[in-house]
Amino acid sequence: MHSKLTFSKCSLAMIAAGAAIISSPSFALNIFVCEPEWEALLTSHAPNATIYSATTAKQDPHYVQARPSLIAKMRQADMAMCSGAELEVGWLPMLQARSSNRAVQDGAQSMIYASDFIGMLDTHDHVDRSMGDIHAAGNPHVQFAANQMISLSHVITERLQNIDPDNAPLYQENGTQFRTHWQQKMNEWSEKAAPLRGKQVVGYHETYRYLYDWLGMKQVADLEPKPGVSPTTSHLQSLTKLDANTFDVIVYSTHQNQRPANWLHEFTDKPIIQLPLTVSKGQSLDEMVDQVIDELLDVLVTPESEAP
Amino acid sequence: MNKKLVSLAVGSLMTSSAFANTLSNPQIGVVLDGYYQDGERNNSERSEGFGLGHTELNMSANIDDKFFGSLTTVIESHGDETELLLEEAFIETLALPYGLNVRAGRFLSDFGYLNNQHMHTDSFAERPVAYRTFLGSHYYDDGVRASIVLPTDMYIKLGVEALSGGKMSSVEDGTTVGVYMANLKLGNDFSDSSSWQFGLSYLRNENGKVSEFEDDHSHDSDHDHDHSHAAAITGSNLYGADFVWKWAPDGNYKYSNLTLAAEYMLLDGVVGSEYKDNANSPDNLSAYYVSGVYRFNPSWSAGVRYGEAESYSGSPAHFHAMNDTEMDLMVAWDASHFGTIRAQYSRVENQESHKGSETDNVFTLQYTMTFGAHGAHAF
Repeated sequence: MHSKLTFSKCSLAMIAAGAAIISSPSFALNIFVCEPEWEALLTSHAPNATIYSATTAKQDPHYVQARPSLIAKMRQADMAMCSGAELEVGWLPMLQARSSNRAVQDGAQSMIYASDFIGMLDTHDHVDRSMGDIHAAGNPHVQFAANQMISLSHVITERLQNIDPDNAPLYQENGTQFRTHWQQKMNEWSEKAAPLRGKQVVGYHETYRYLYDWLGMKQVADLEPKPGVSPTTSHLQSLTKLDANTFDVIVYSTHQNQRPANWLHEFTDKPIIQLPLTVSKGQSLDEMVDQVIDELLDVLVTPESEAP
Repeated sequence: MNKKLVSLAVGSLMTSSAFANTLSNPQIGVVLDGYYQDGERNNSERSEGFGLGHTELNMSANIDDKFFGSLTTVIESHGDETELLLEEAFIETLALPYGLNVRAGRFLSDFGYLNNQHMHTDSFAERPVAYRTFLGSHYYDDGVRASIVLPTDMYIKLGVEALSGGKMSSVEDGTTVGVYMANLKLGNDFSDSSSWQFGLSYLRNENGKVSEFEDDHSHDSDHDHDHSHAAAITGSNLYGADFVWKWAPDGNYKYSNLTLAAEYMLLDGVVGSEYKDNANSPDNLSAYYVSGVYRFNPSWSAGVRYGEAESYSGSPAHFHAMNDTEMDLMVAWDASHFGTIRAQYSRVENQESHKGSETDNVFTLQYTMTFGAHGAHAF
């Protein structure tokens, strides 16, 4: 519906009139997102929009089929938002091409890549596939860059206003509200998560790179021998030789196979934490950050503080 | 002072070119495909012994905000011969309204399920016998395509193509635009874990009907031995129906997944009506395949495929009905997302009405690896 509205500008009066009738001021934006975290973020900014997420919390966003239903959803989108930095390179370009929808092509105002507006970590000048699945543009798992959501919120607000000017004041209001609330949460989190500073982790993929960077934690080893390469026995063997003092916990995500983490746990007796990859259904982005920090605190801090 | 300026300029040029490598065009990708094969399948592009299969060099880029362009050259080697083929050289619109899309140049026809996909994404060493008999393994041609995706939650795509039809021609002086193709694709999800796609295709071939036979036994008499990029058997009308179903636990394709695919094709108007009443006169030739591929972990997958294709040989005086059946078993190991080593065993049975049936065992050991830009895969 919305594409008709923009098209009408340079088109016949009849089409314009038709589009005007269809698109009453209260029409809902159709938004396509690649991952559920962007659905959560956009819901706070555009609560009236119809938002469709291509993946669920249980799916690895690197491995998604460019399936027909996604092309159909992409075709109807007025706007799309993805993590970017090549995270979705195996399927998103196919959806963009097959959808034949101008609004979701790269370079359009209505195609937003979160990683374009976030200070990227682990960028590389030289990338070779022998290094595993790494991206020149940096680590694409930016949903945990909580300290940068405010600048992302500014971008989203501006884009929403441009795409749907009729509702610009609403987006302004929602954006301001989101940022005020987020700032409050940031203050709360930095106090609450202070005991996590300096904690060392063995991870499974660099999924929480931005979270650790923000909280002052460190991933000292990875269950994956190389990014995106599944754990091998020989690599896991080498991890058992890690000095027990060099890490506090083993972390993996809900969508991942738990066996490698369990295996290392049996050898080292270090606790395991399963963290969410993204928001669960209906969860907001700040609730996800709350959950992640609580789960880390539960295992890493609470037992010690209860000891004396 | 001047030197400083120059070095500054050079420095900034170099940093900007580093960005250009990742951001800017063109995307260049190479597919390497090599194999060792014992035996040979009918109408195949792969011959016995060591050989190179579908070695591809692809370059593509957005030309501007309105057009996308892509060029795919294929280098194939058979014995002492090396062939350079231009498989794709097309431009495509990016900015048409209403879900419209137009493609012009040389491209893979959208007929059926497999035809528009690049061979290196296939799960088996060769296309099914149906494709090798009626479409020359994969049918690409010069022409135009227009398609539209409807704004519905169920995927509905309608497409039409007009193509030169040279590879599908069975006559000396055919019409300039020989092939017209129309198709419909539908698709949706059953649930978070499984998705389907269904397609119907119709291909009209103005030059497909054989009405003149030069001399006895010349037509198709050598099709067992020569590799070919043209369709082995043509007719006036080719109808196709295809269905694909993919499943992964919770829709997470990384660790395990299952793909089932089936296609059916029917060819009619194969020879002129004056030969209709001859013994074994070919008409309504059909072909199909069903396949299943299961990935049981990120590195290993295995698949099975069964297919049949009817064809014919000889000439009006002695038409011979032929039926090729093929059973394939495949195991593949993925070193990463970009490299695959595959072993495939095929049991091939060729029936010919005047010779009886012949059974062959074909074994292929193959690698398919890619470097450079790696395009997204279709469903």
